[in-house]
Amino acid sequence: MIINAVADTWFLVLRDLRVRIRMPMFIAMSLFQPVLWLVLFTQIFKSLGNMPGLGGSSYLQFFAPGVVVMTVLFGSAFAGFGMLMDIDMGILSKMLATPVTRVSIITGRITATVMVLIIQALIVFIIAVIMGVHLATGVPGMLFALFLAALLGLGFAAFSNGLALLLRRQETVMVITNFYTMPLMFLSSMMMPGAVLPGWLNTARHFNPVDYAIVGVRDLVLTGYVWSDLWRSVVVLSGWAAAGVAFGMLMFRARAE
Amino acid sequence: MSVIATYRLTKVFPGGVRAVDGVDFEVNAGEIFGFLGPNGAGKTTTIKMLNTLIRPTLGTATVAGFDVVKNPSEVRKRIGYVAQDVGVDEHATGRENLTLYGHFYRLDSKIIKQRVKEIFELVGLTGSEDRMVSTYSGGMRKRLDIAMGLIHQPDILFLDEPTVGLDPQTRIHIWDYIRNLTKTVGVTIFLTTHYMEEADRLANRIAIIDFGKIMVMGTPDELKRSIGGDVVALSPCVDKDDECKEFIRRTESVLSGRPFVIGTKAADSELAVYVNDGESAIPNIMQLLSSQGIEVKTISMARPSLDDVFLKYTGHTIRAQEGTRTTFAQILRKRNKRQ
Repeated sequence: MIINAVADTWFLVLRDLRVRIRMPMFIAMSLFQPVLWLVLFTQIFKSLGNMPGLGGSSYLQFFAPGVVVMTVLFGSAFAGFGMLMDIDMGILSKMLATPVTRVSIITGRITATVMVLIIQALIVFIIAVIMGVHLATGVPGMLFALFLAALLGLGFAAFSNGLALLLRRQETVMVITNFYTMPLMFLSSMMMPGAVLPGWLNTARHFNPVDYAIVGVRDLVLTGYVWSDLWRSVVVLSGWAAAGVAFGMLMFRARAE
Repeated sequence: MSVIATYRLTKVFPGGVRAVDGVDFEVNAGEIFGFLGPNGAGKTTTIKMLNTLIRPTLGTATVAGFDVVKNPSEVRKRIGYVAQDVGVDEHATGRENLTLYGHFYRLDSKIIKQRVKEIFELVGLTGSEDRMVSTYSGGMRKRLDIAMGLIHQPDILFLDEPTVGLDPQTRIHIWDYIRNLTKTVGVTIFLTTHYMEEADRLANRIAIIDFGKIMVMGTPDELKRSIGGDVVALSPCVDKDDECKEFIRRTESVLSGRPFVIGTKAADSELAVYVNDGESAIPNIMQLLSSQGIEVKTISMARPSLDDVFLKYTGHTIRAQEGTRTTFAQILRKRNKRQ
């Protein structure tokens, strides 16, 4: 049974990845935004480079980890649209009439999304390094950062799939996704260090899984292995991933079968 | 031997809609069994209960020897499902679509390869295996869709409205493929349709379903014979207004009960009169009606068709209720097909 689930998940991951590889435009477009943030946005705040909260580094150095996390957030929060397409096209119900292991329909989608996100985050890292960002912990630290990003993406990808199964309409899912992604981005230390944020915002960010990813990734890029932050990021993001997967599975049970 | 058997199969949706209301029927091995009814009659709901996609509220169904509720995974191994929506992946090739399904049915890669070749031949898609499905025409997609339900050599193939949305020429092609399947593969086919002609041409036996209930069941010939000799259709008016209805009602009252009339059935703008011998009945009818001052605008005579059968057992024509919700994806898909 488990072997079947793993095999089915793999076949569905391949199906998903194949689609993406065939749309190189899509990959290029999804990388265009992060590059825009890295190149243009950091120019706007360039003069902040000497601000004490930034740790004496350039704004690019400070902001690059945020762009990695942002790429993952937006990539995963819209992951449910693939599921919606499958529902609308009748692909999902056709699959459910076969002996395919039920769980693999959702694990396949989530796995493929997370795999793509890791690659995208890696590319953002590489671009950042080319632009002059120094990685304090080197390649091992970057792999750790990708792990944190993957946990965040796993949670949001599963959550988005659950949302798609619950609501079943492109329009509604689109509105809700737009509704929560932007606030999650702003209610964090993505653009400014927590110390200089207004008090209420600095408190609010502690309830935002996105911020735990930013803090962790930024430590690894700017400072080093700050374990007091990192262990908290690992725990919170693991919890977030587990909650997202639980929600996705629950919705699949409730709405697809 | 029956491969599908239902006992008081019922589905009540939240809100109390009885989509399927206690249907009993058996499908024999090797036959094409047609479920004929208008949109919303309960056809798709029945198919979804039989292929384990939704659970019956009441009653039981056995498919390929297994109960659909107690043993759904055994049922799934033995059936193929071709839904009304063409559930093929546009961003993959035909071969990739088929291969994925082969894996779902736990077939060996070697066997899948061989089956893909055979099935593409069977549905007439040889040569298009490695083209993206997005370049397929509507008819090709439907044939691929059917092929995906056959990769594991199922005992039963469920076809839900197999030719809906296809042009007449493609429809006739698909009919040929479906008819061929029972002969070459020996698969039993359970088919739903709201096209009379489709049921008439394809099905060995038909069940007419309306408002979730089976109204009548039999071979197309049996059903037509049950109506009598000929059908004389006459219309005393052109517009479908109240005046017209009144005309039809009066016409019906004049004709019913006459010795040469077996029965009558009123529809929107015409009256069907079932008679033993149409040729001799027409002059009688005309004479009777003109003596009552009823002017007949058109009159025609035909052998009974399934339309007449449908009208007789349901009291309305099948054309009455059309129009379903169209999703954005369906619009997109239609647009893609046209290109």
